[in-house]
Amino acid sequence: MNTNPDESTLALWLDDELTGVELAAVEAWASSQPDQLAARDEIRGWRATMAAAIPASVEPPYPDFFNTRVLQAIREQQPQPAMVERNPFSWKSWLMPMVACSGMVMAFWIGKKSQPAIDYDVVNAPRAIPVGPVVYTPESGVKAEWIASSKASATVIVLNGVTAIPDATDFSATVYVPMDREFDSTADSDAQPELEVGP
Amino acid sequence: MNNPSDEPSKIAQEPRGSVDSDVTLNDPEDDFRLVALAQQGDMSAYDALVTRHRGRIFAMIRNMIHQEADAWDISQEVFIKAWRALPKFEAKARFSTWLYRIAHNAVYDWTRRRKIESAGELNDEIFERERIDSASFTTPSGGESPADSMSNGELRAKIQIALGKLSPEHREVVLLKDVQGLSYKEIAEAMSSTLGTVMSRLYYARQKLQALLKDEYESR
Repeated sequence: MNTNPDESTLALWLDDELTGVELAAVEAWASSQPDQLAARDEIRGWRATMAAAIPASVEPPYPDFFNTRVLQAIREQQPQPAMVERNPFSWKSWLMPMVACSGMVMAFWIGKKSQPAIDYDVVNAPRAIPVGPVVYTPESGVKAEWIASSKASATVIVLNGVTAIPDATDFSATVYVPMDREFDSTADSDAQPELEVGP
Repeated sequence: MNNPSDEPSKIAQEPRGSVDSDVTLNDPEDDFRLVALAQQGDMSAYDALVTRHRGRIFAMIRNMIHQEADAWDISQEVFIKAWRALPKFEAKARFSTWLYRIAHNAVYDWTRRRKIESAGELNDEIFERERIDSASFTTPSGGESPADSMSNGELRAKIQIALGKLSPEHREVVLLKDVQGLSYKEIAEAMSSTLGTVMSRLYYARQKLQALLKDEYESR
């Protein structure tokens, strides 16, 4: 190369990016340019220094977790498969239920036809007899009667023959009587109850 | 001017915390094969793609924003967005270049959201060229090579500090070119820019880094 290379070509040559014919041409020119050769050596040295001082590749902390997080984020962002919209006026939308109903009616009809009809004797059929309530008394000799009044909406059971209950019977043994402290009241125990006086 | 890489072998032993950058691991052909499977919904193929590229994307973003927790989140965002855009990927560029472009957008979106304005950040437009060593070309210079004068850890720290003082555009172009090893064309694709703009940005970014690092050396 008899003429100087342009700036772009020279920059590429200084950084060892030229190849082939272009490289040969600039090399021929640079053989008589000691400054340019020195400059190229300096750039080579600089690149080597930088590459050695600063690692080009450094594993990120927790590299496996790094990948896991990336893939997880990708999966979360994956578009869900689009739902196929159904046409409400599609023939499938009304034909299927119709066929199902027809099938059920047909099955019912076939079932009715396949069994002989049973003749029921309605006239001589046993009739229901009204039965009164029965009162059960566990103690022998005791009779029970019951009286129902629809007007009073009440039923009274009368027991005859039951032994009289003696006055000495202690009902407290069978009845739960709450103690004072268990009363659910904050009223003063000494206070007199207010009597409601009528007009 | 001493070459900062007079002893590159010493520095090359350094990168701690880096992962295997074996070229075969990120073979573009394997990427295309996995992408084709992922485009058909194969999640395991995409999982493999994430594993292959997460280290570079995370490193790039962390170097851009200098916040590890946010870099972790933004890196996740990049891969999630990439999955969503995967049907549009036509394999005209390398999958990694395409990812860098998504990362570029994600970082700038995050920056806009957070409205981060670094107090020490230099403004590219008002940066005075007079401050740049006129004797230098595009690489750091000084009486002493940084490789000679600093331990490797110190060198990394100084470069990180200097990178932090660059504008986001200059920082990104340096990281993509000098750290990630992308070509000018790939950087232009990743940054949605023109080849000329990338060349210009890289030229000035390297000069600024040189000036900043020179200050660091002289202050020692």
